[in-house]
Amino acid sequence: MKNEVKEHVISMLVNNRPGVLARVAGVFGRLGYNIESLCVAETISPKVSRITSVSKADPAFTEKVKKQLNRLVDVISVAELEDDTSAKREMMLIGITIDEKNRPELSRAITMFGCTVISMKDSYCILQVVGNRGDVETVLNFLTPLGVKDIARTGAVALESGA
Amino acid sequence: MERTGAEILLNTLSEEGVSEIFGYPGASTLAIHDCINETGIKHLLVRHEQAAAHAADGYARATGKVGVCIATSGPGATNLVTGIATAYMDSTPMIALTGQVTTGLLGSDAFQETDIIGITMPITKHSFLVQDVRDMASTVREAINIATSGRPGPVVIDLPRDVLAARCNDDEEGGGGFLEQQEIHFGEEELRRLKQIARLLNESERPVLLVGGGVKLSQAFTELADVIQKGNIPFVTTMMGIGSVYTPNGFNLGLIGTHGTDLANRIVHQSDFILAVGARFSDRTTSVIEEFAPLATIAQIDVDPTSIGKNIKTDISVVSDIRVALQELLGLVTEKKREDWIARIDRERERIAKEGSDDGCGPAGECIRMVQECMPEKTIAVTDVGLNQIWAIRSWKVKIPRGLITPGGLGTMGFSVPASMGARIGAIDHEVVVFTGDGGFFMNIQELATIGFYNIPVKIVVFNNGNLGMIRQIQHHFYNSRYRDSRLSDLVDITEIAKGFGIPSEKVAAEDPRKGIEKLCGSEGPFLLEVVVDENNYVYPIIPPGKSNVEMIYGRSE
Ligand SMILES: Cc1ncc(C[n+]2csc(CCOP(=O)(O)OP(=O)(O)O)c2C)c(N)n1
Ligand SMILES: [Mg+2]
Repeated sequence: MKNEVKEHVISMLVNNRPGVLARVAGVFGRLGYNIESLCVAETISPKVSRITSVSKADPAFTEKVKKQLNRLVDVISVAELEDDTSAKREMMLIGITIDEKNRPELSRAITMFGCTVISMKDSYCILQVVGNRGDVETVLNFLTPLGVKDIARTGAVALESGA
Repeated sequence: MERTGAEILLNTLSEEGVSEIFGYPGASTLAIHDCINETGIKHLLVRHEQAAAHAADGYARATGKVGVCIATSGPGATNLVTGIATAYMDSTPMIALTGQVTTGLLGSDAFQETDIIGITMPITKHSFLVQDVRDMASTVREAINIATSGRPGPVVIDLPRDVLAARCNDDEEGGGGFLEQQEIHFGEEELRRLKQIARLLNESERPVLLVGGGVKLSQAFTELADVIQKGNIPFVTTMMGIGSVYTPNGFNLGLIGTHGTDLANRIVHQSDFILAVGARFSDRTTSVIEEFAPLATIAQIDVDPTSIGKNIKTDISVVSDIRVALQELLGLVTEKKREDWIARIDRERERIAKEGSDDGCGPAGECIRMVQECMPEKTIAVTDVGLNQIWAIRSWKVKIPRGLITPGGLGTMGFSVPASMGARIGAIDHEVVVFTGDGGFFMNIQELATIGFYNIPVKIVVFNNGNLGMIRQIQHHFYNSRYRDSRLSDLVDITEIAKGFGIPSEKVAAEDPRKGIEKLCGSEGPFLLEVVVDENNYVYPIIPPGKSNVEMIYGRSE
């Protein structure tokens, strides 16, 4: 097998019922397919959820994983989304304490990157950043020296562009 | 009408055509056992839950219908696991009902609570935990639909005790509502691909059909035979494909792979086109995959998209129900004599016959041939695992659909005796013969009690070589004859054990078995024949690990 590792985004529609995530995760786990990020939520039909996973792997390996996923009774469809034919976004929440020292840089960053302040308690503030992975990481790199306390990332959600 | 969850479960099973269940009770399943007779379903009490699963499996393999087993929560459920895994590997349609602690206690490490759904997740096609009695009927229907459709497989239904006891009116029952299992659709794209396959097949000079277990599962017996006859196409089978087609005219080249015949493996190696139907190219079939059929274009028809190109790169494939595809293919295949190819195969066959390289089953193989001669044509052979299995699949000439049952995928020792009970109960107008080794026989020996109790007229042949014979053969060839931990003993008197279970029994030597075989075949009820076999009666040819299908070791069994 040629070892050309690249990023693969798998988008699955699954029945929205208990245990489905465990089955999907079971396939990843059994085959040793490492997940960088995973996102699960309902679609417009409450009976159906979408699972979006991102992995770095060999294409042949990904193909095998997709086949095994397809085999699950609760999996309705499995598609791999390519960069040029899909739209991809992720969100990150960044917790940071504001003090006299970092205040000017922080407000500059908020306007420059278009972050939203979604919570402010005492001097602890939570910022929301949305973008592709690169955007989100740029913001994080910029803020880290200013004293980032905590982050939470969604991982990618993605949709095929052009229905 | 108001019914309990247990009644709804059984009534729904019965409506879906289930008439027998193999099982073993416990406190959490008593609600089911309590009303089972009233629902018209017969419950057969085995002596170990593993046997219930194998019996349900054997029932399904012999009839093509779904097999059902039941066990209580905790240890009862875990005892099913080997049987479920066996069914999964060979794609048997099966429902395993397991008791579970009451819903309120789930996750509390209650007495006899195990997460059987979690445990069986990688070895089931699907599983359900019924949390509400109103979902019982729809769940059972969905479970059977899943177990029997597409590529079949086992489905676990976990049944909390309170849900079985809860009552529910017909009009309160939910309708399920999740997606129906998708019908496998044969459309334009499939036809286009099939036409391409047909063209390659028609143009090929040395074609071989590779028949797998999928043919049986989709009941494509006559369709396959028709294609073979029309195109004059020789065929080989995988272990699971044995018993899919019977052609008296020599098109059957036999089993391929690790335990295959010299003829089958050599012809596949020379072929220029292979059409695999319902076969997944397992490592047992191909040996070293890079060296498998080096000259051939490979085409594949399978109902399961996962199986296509999973192990081998195929040049063209169709995802389709095999029966539907073969019906279509019949119209596309041109009649062809293929004289050169057939003549070449005949020459190979003569050479092999002269050298005797495919007669490597020794007196044990001869014994199996004698048993078959003595039994009516409608006899199903059930094998265990080990040398006995290879002797049986090489020596028993399968003449009827489903005529041979063997746990090919998982290789489960102890399968044969309980599976034969299920086969005999399901295929009522067939005789059933078991071929097992002494090792495998001991693994589910308790089922002699079940056989005796219900007087299930199975004929059991135990090949007693005092050893884990197949392991011994591997040690002989590849571990410098260091026979570590493979010696059983000859201290156990198997015939006395059988008699202790109320089953008549005889002991013969493999070199002179006639008298015993006559008694075996002539008996009305169950019978056990112990056949004493020399510990060096191995099986040849065999393919050493890491070698290709044509690098077999020949040998002679004394
Ligand atoms: C449950 C289980 N345990 C271990 C094995 C490994 N194994 C394969 S063949 C074999 C020997 C079988 O011995 P026996 O049943 O006496 O049959 P024989 O080969 O002697 O005919 C063993 C131990 C297995 N297949 N299944
Ligand atoms: Mg033995």
